[in-house]
Amino acid sequence: MYKAFPKSLLFLGHLLLAGSIVISGKAIDLENHPGKAIYQKLCLECHGATGEGADDLDVDPLVGTRTIESLAGRIDRTMPEDEEHLCVGDDAKKVAEYVYHAFYSPEAQAKLQPVTTELTRLTAPQLQNSVTDLIGSFLNPGHNPEITNRGLKGSYTLDDRKRAGNNDYKREQFDRIDPQIRFDFGSGIPELPEGKESKMTQFRITWRGSIYARDTGIYEFTLRTRNGAKLYINEHDTKLEPTIDAWVAPNNEVREESEKVKLLGGRRYYVTLEFFKYKEEKSLIELLWKTPHGPREPIPNRYLTTDHSHPVFVAQTTLPADDRSYGYERGSSVSRVWLDALTSTAFEAADHVIKNLDRLARTKDDDPEREKKLKDFAAEFTSRAFRRPLRGNERDLYVEKHFRETESLEDAIRRTVIYGVTSPYFLYPGTSFDSPRGPWARASALALSLWDSLPDQKLRNHAQNGNLEKPKFVEQEAWRMLHDGRARNKMNGFFEHWLELSRADDMAKDTQKFPDYSDGMLTDLRTSLDLFIEDIVWSEASDYRKLLLSDHLYLNGRLGKIYGKPDLKGGFQKVSLPAEGRTGVITHPFLLTAFSYHNNTSPIHRGVFLTKNIVGLPLKPPPEAIEFEDSKFPPNLTMREKVTEMTRAKACMACHSMINPLGFSLEKYDAIGRWRTEDQGKPIDDDSVLRTDYGNQIDIKGPRDVAEYAANSPAAHAAFIRQLFHHATKQPLLAYGVDTEDRLVEHFRNTNFNIRHLLVEIAVTATNPSLPDS
Amino acid sequence: MNALERSLQNRRQFLRRLGITGAAAPFLSGLPGMSSALGAQAGSKKRVVIMFSPNGTIPDEFWPEGEGKDFKFKRILKPLEKYRNRMTVMNGINNRIGGDGDRHMRGMSCLLTGTELFPGNIQGGSDSPAGWASGISIDQEIRNFFQSREDTATRFGSLEFGVAVPNRADPWTRMSYAGPNQPVAPIDDPRKMMEKLYGKMDDKESLVSVVDEVRTDLQKISSQLGAEDRALLDKHLSLVRDLETELSRSDEDTELAHPVPEVDPTIELVNDNTPRLSRIQIDLLVNALANDMSRVATLQYMRSVGQARMNWLGIEEGHHGLSHEPDNNKEAVEKLTKINEWFCGELAYLVERLDQTPEPGQDGSMLDHTLVVWLNELGKGNSHTLNNIPFVLIGGEKSTGFQMGRYFKAPKDTAHNRLWLAIARAMGHEIETFGTAKYCEGGPLDLA
Repeated sequence: MYKAFPKSLLFLGHLLLAGSIVISGKAIDLENHPGKAIYQKLCLECHGATGEGADDLDVDPLVGTRTIESLAGRIDRTMPEDEEHLCVGDDAKKVAEYVYHAFYSPEAQAKLQPVTTELTRLTAPQLQNSVTDLIGSFLNPGHNPEITNRGLKGSYTLDDRKRAGNNDYKREQFDRIDPQIRFDFGSGIPELPEGKESKMTQFRITWRGSIYARDTGIYEFTLRTRNGAKLYINEHDTKLEPTIDAWVAPNNEVREESEKVKLLGGRRYYVTLEFFKYKEEKSLIELLWKTPHGPREPIPNRYLTTDHSHPVFVAQTTLPADDRSYGYERGSSVSRVWLDALTSTAFEAADHVIKNLDRLARTKDDDPEREKKLKDFAAEFTSRAFRRPLRGNERDLYVEKHFRETESLEDAIRRTVIYGVTSPYFLYPGTSFDSPRGPWARASALALSLWDSLPDQKLRNHAQNGNLEKPKFVEQEAWRMLHDGRARNKMNGFFEHWLELSRADDMAKDTQKFPDYSDGMLTDLRTSLDLFIEDIVWSEASDYRKLLLSDHLYLNGRLGKIYGKPDLKGGFQKVSLPAEGRTGVITHPFLLTAFSYHNNTSPIHRGVFLTKNIVGLPLKPPPEAIEFEDSKFPPNLTMREKVTEMTRAKACMACHSMINPLGFSLEKYDAIGRWRTEDQGKPIDDDSVLRTDYGNQIDIKGPRDVAEYAANSPAAHAAFIRQLFHHATKQPLLAYGVDTEDRLVEHFRNTNFNIRHLLVEIAVTATNPSLPDS
Repeated sequence: MNALERSLQNRRQFLRRLGITGAAAPFLSGLPGMSSALGAQAGSKKRVVIMFSPNGTIPDEFWPEGEGKDFKFKRILKPLEKYRNRMTVMNGINNRIGGDGDRHMRGMSCLLTGTELFPGNIQGGSDSPAGWASGISIDQEIRNFFQSREDTATRFGSLEFGVAVPNRADPWTRMSYAGPNQPVAPIDDPRKMMEKLYGKMDDKESLVSVVDEVRTDLQKISSQLGAEDRALLDKHLSLVRDLETELSRSDEDTELAHPVPEVDPTIELVNDNTPRLSRIQIDLLVNALANDMSRVATLQYMRSVGQARMNWLGIEEGHHGLSHEPDNNKEAVEKLTKINEWFCGELAYLVERLDQTPEPGQDGSMLDHTLVVWLNELGKGNSHTLNNIPFVLIGGEKSTGFQMGRYFKAPKDTAHNRLWLAIARAMGHEIETFGTAKYCEGGPLDLA
């Protein structure tokens, strides 16, 4: 299982330094390295034998991500302190090489202090999805195929009833598929198929099918109608209470009735909408929603399908946000708020199971085998929660005991469910397996990294049959699992994280300067960005470079007016704005808006984002936090001039020599991402020279150069891979071997930067964590 | 009683007390905490409870013989014999609301609102289609009045109980309205009501044993881990221990004057369980009032046009179907009499429970402070008349000042709006009109 390793660098360091290290097929003899002697003479006094530094001298440990060249340059210029001439040129290079391989690089650190997977609990999305699938797995095999048959199926019944109590009236019936529910019938009746005429005056329509929820969160559904309507979301039994009951329609007035429902993303939910018009003069019906990030709109056709869906249990409890301090969400802490939310989730799950017990356990009230079936159900439930078969006395401990100690079978099931959801074996998947590379652990790793959930029936079968011992099989399974709404949801989550999309939450702008800005516009921009990304990621090529280089943008009518396509009408269309030099996500107006001040651009925010997330260069926290105060500068300065002035100090320039050129490259887009050519009446200069940590200089003339640099830079590729890896596995990349990052970078290049290939490769890698003992 | 039974019994009692300590506060939908400390309120406590039963009465067996203080019960009111000096049978009160909707609809949705229905799309057996009521109902009006004042405000303000109310929302199933177009649904599932009032008992019960298992697992796993991984599990373990302590803490801080009644968790909401469900709901209602969670309550049996099959009375036909039978169908009349006797019996049980429960912090019984009103959406089933609706008032003398122990005959054409005015005034709410103003002419009925 998981063992902690001694923290002492010194102890392990000496053991390892005695040996030699193999890098890229070439052995480096560290013991007799020429840099070692120089290090011991000139550096050891302050930096320590293995670069551990010294607290009393205020010397930090020598660890980091610079290249050998960059280290050499730095040593040449700055070391030893006050005697810089002692170690220059070739000597500096030798010391750099020694330091790099002995302890500085992440790989060297990983050897000194092996990184293993950390024991973490399920994150909030993992917990929600796992509970949903734990229950759902008893109803369906666990796959959520993507939407194919779009629209909802409408069953229309027209009649000519004129007064009450008259049962002698004619009817006409037909079915058809409606792309959206958005009808104003006026004083008329629905159109009949094939242009038929009808004398009918009253009608009823029942629409059935499913809606697809892209994201996890609160969905507000709205019925807009003059007549009688009932909406059922995720509820098959129309005898039960509707989600929205608008059956009684006073005055034939247009009413709107709304209800909020929490849904998990990447899944389909069954929907029924019943509608009737009786004697009222006019009729109108619209089905709208407001998604977690979207505008209120009639539910678009691409989220509606005529396909059936099984009931999905979604706990409505809100779980607290997970720790993101490592740059990705991890289940690395527990709190009372978390425990309470967990318990409340368990209660909801128990209620749901009890309510649907006979269906889940395939039994009924008068079944003579009911007790046995319920016990078997409880055992299977617990086993699925543990992600492996029960062993030893576990069935007695976690199943039979509940039946012995309770008065009714239902109470025993209630306990089983509450235990299943709150059990450490469920919450900390790492504790459930003997070996992290065993078949059940592998099934769990695949399901968590691709779905944030539990293994489905197929995966469980493969684990049972020993198929997951074979790497080829693991890869095949990963590809199968990618064709699932849950995998899409997981991928969406990555982009949300990588592009820091939540920055735009509750973003406000100076409405005097930007009268076009509104919440509605911002949600449109978010949709535009989502469409752009999905288009690329789920196309055949799934090419990472297109995310940075593609010059098109999705705009609708409202956005067209703001972003230079005033003639655009209606919904989202792909457009190109050749004069504006747009290039992929980095010039998408949503991100430009998010990385700006309320009244101006922010080259620093934009630059930091580009440096870390896109170009993949490391940044240290600023030596002192200085707030940008616009009023401190003469008013006629451009933004570029202000930022240059503000970051002039040498201490700032260590990082701002990278941040500023990247940030300035986007100066031709204002605080809401509109194209501009002037700032303060002066033409905008977006050219700069970027000096990287790796010692090279790059001319940057606008954002396209930044995008091309990132698209072709191994450092950028590695940064992208690391972020996707962490998002998928919630574990440090180094815990899967020191050379894994290099291997993934190469794989990425060899597959023409195919993002889906990469995710599959990551999921496969996740099934092979380093074993602590090896 | 053997040891196991005893221990179960003890545990149940323990958990029952637990439900009221607030120990597991985060898992409860709310605490039974009170807005005003018991016994601290100014003046005599005032409450009103309205009980509804559908499809009209059998006048010959309902209306007493005689008048004033000198009257004799017929069969239907017999179950209330014991309380004859504490009740007023109100003859001659009409629901005069006209407009859209058939008489069942208006009978139901204009009963407590005293105002018209909106035109709409819901078609009854006759008349024009209609929508919801266009105004607030009297229970909600009094609720809002109570809630607006510190000394009468309670946690819920009002509670809407149901018994065997079908799961559909239309003008036949709703009598309580928070405002125009805002019907209030009664809760007819005792488990749901229990949860609303006291939180979830069976969850807490399960949790106590599960927490024990989780703690054991955590200890076991933690002992096999390295120090770093163990830190997270140990934190989890200490949180679980805290929870366990809270769950097992004694009920020192009990605030409830009355313990939570026991509700059979497995009872199903089916027609044949109606008598049991009715008693459970009444127990919960009395309990909630005793704990001052609310001072206004409604108790709705079935719905207008309800088709309850009262097998427990040996009656197989649906109630509404029977109510259409002509007066000369002796068998139907007999059955309908029995049905109304049964409703009256449930009312008697409610009244008795209130009578037996001392008023917390004040003199007398809860019945002294609680005005109970029994009503129906029709006067008579087969004629669908909205005239001469069988209204009965019981108890509440200490809060209303109404004169009880009589058979009251109202002046000709008295609109029921005037009764609501009288009750609102008795509750301290000095309104001039209620519902449609023209039916308030003559002011509140003089019941003193």
